[in-house]
Amino acid sequence: MSNALITLLPSVVLEGLLLGCVYAMIALGYTMVYGVLGLINFAHAEVFMVGAVAGVEVYRYLGPLVDNPYVLALAAVIIAAGVSGALAMAIERLAYRPIRRHGSSNRLVPLITAIGVSFFLQDLVRLIEGLWHGEFYMNYPASDPMEYLHELPFGMTIQNKSILVMVVAVSMMVGLDRLVRRTRLGRAIRAVAQDLPTASLMGIDPDRVISRTFLIGGALGGVAGVLFGLLYSQINPFVGFVPGVKAFTAAVLGGIGNIHGAMLGGLVLGTLETLGGTYLFFLTDGAIGNEYKDVFAFVILVLLLLFRPQGLLGRAQGEKV
Amino acid sequence: MMLEVQHLTKRFGGLVAVNDVSFGVEPGAIFSLIGPNGAGKTTLFNVLTGLYRPDAGEVLFKGRRLSHRLPEHIAARGVARTFQNIRLFGAMTVYENVLVGQHAHVRYNYLDAIFRTFRYYRAEKRARVRAHELLDYMELNDRAFELARNLPYGAQRRLEIARALALRPALLLLDEPAAGMNPKETDEIKRLIRRLRDDLQLTILLIEHHMKVVMEISDRVVVLDYGKKIAEGTPGDVRKAPAVIEAYLGKGALEGAA
Repeated sequence: MSNALITLLPSVVLEGLLLGCVYAMIALGYTMVYGVLGLINFAHAEVFMVGAVAGVEVYRYLGPLVDNPYVLALAAVIIAAGVSGALAMAIERLAYRPIRRHGSSNRLVPLITAIGVSFFLQDLVRLIEGLWHGEFYMNYPASDPMEYLHELPFGMTIQNKSILVMVVAVSMMVGLDRLVRRTRLGRAIRAVAQDLPTASLMGIDPDRVISRTFLIGGALGGVAGVLFGLLYSQINPFVGFVPGVKAFTAAVLGGIGNIHGAMLGGLVLGTLETLGGTYLFFLTDGAIGNEYKDVFAFVILVLLLLFRPQGLLGRAQGEKV
Repeated sequence: MMLEVQHLTKRFGGLVAVNDVSFGVEPGAIFSLIGPNGAGKTTLFNVLTGLYRPDAGEVLFKGRRLSHRLPEHIAARGVARTFQNIRLFGAMTVYENVLVGQHAHVRYNYLDAIFRTFRYYRAEKRARVRAHELLDYMELNDRAFELARNLPYGAQRRLEIARALALRPALLLLDEPAAGMNPKETDEIKRLIRRLRDDLQLTILLIEHHMKVVMEISDRVVVLDYGKKIAEGTPGDVRKAPAVIEAYLGKGALEGAA
């Protein structure tokens, strides 16, 4: 029994890291927006969902034309990034910026707006998909090369699509890190996050920087949507909620406002959740099943925040972005 | 005129923080604003740099209207400032703070950055070289890669000036650069301000409480009290003006002295 658990461990960790990559990509959108605006953009879960749906549409329309499944997946990633990035920018422009302009100092106002935008997008996608295709439950089609299973040491196995997910996620996160550290836009984002009025006195247009932040966070979320679809196949207009809440949790876990924290928090949460879901089932003889994995994830969060309220990488005072 | 302030007024509720203030600053001048605490000096800086909108009056910079413009536009036109209570980007390195100051002068687009084009490298390299030049000038190069928040106080003040210079301003607003400094450091600041004007052809508008600094380096001084201009002239003129003595020492000071 215990032997079986140990042999299982590498595979479970690997699966957890995959899920963690998706959480991390979504968490980056939460944390970057929080960094520049101090706002928890709950509509980000729907930006992720729209990315997943855009990916399905790419498969639906390009699938018959393109044979190579990798080309198809990359096309889905790129288009979803564009659609979700543009959507996130539009949300900021149409919903958050007018509120900011009118100078409401109540932080609940943008938060409730975010929740409203979230519901609006869910139903909008449901309406569009319903009118367009007659139904709003969608599937990422499986293809044999993508499902191909590689044998790895320690009894681990990995599918081609999982490798693709990791490569895309890691390269986007490395790219983001370099953008934030080494480019003019990255420096401007960090400057706005630390002190918006002073940043504006440096000749930085804060609205532009905020808009770009939404674009980047949205694009990452859209890509995460496609990766999620590739891994779990089934998509619908309400699919954003649970990964969205988890990713928000991951961002808090890592230290909200901190980019590396969001990446780390995502990976940690994905791994712990998968471990918890698998091992609790075995250790309790099935009394606590895999369906409790969400409870497990949030128990971890509560415990961590009790002992380290600023999150894993957050500073007590909050070093943002 | 480099800067013309015309009948500028800023109110906060019932308080008139800046009340119908006018003055003009010649190019290349070191121009000081003095006055008791709460006289409206920093408020005036905040209006000049666009952080506050004036309730009345105009600001002209090189003959063009500056009032009612956004801070980022004013900064890009060539007005830079430092703060009384230092406002560096503490979580960034010394060097990055100066790079942020060059924001308006680093030119490349997102495609350049993604594909690492020649233009990206050239623009970033120029910015880096210039950042190190400025840090050299302000004697901060040996601490370039420390976080700004870890610098000692005097170095933070110098870094704020370096960051402001990175904007390539024509007009530099210094808000109490000698605050909290010992006599030796105060002397250094005095020399630095002169050097900035002479080396970089800057026009300098200065708020300062150290009278020694103000009197020794200013070409012209404006005195504010309760938001109003009560005197203007050369340091010598201002020192003798009865309204100024009264504002600083209280009513009756002149009679008592006489």
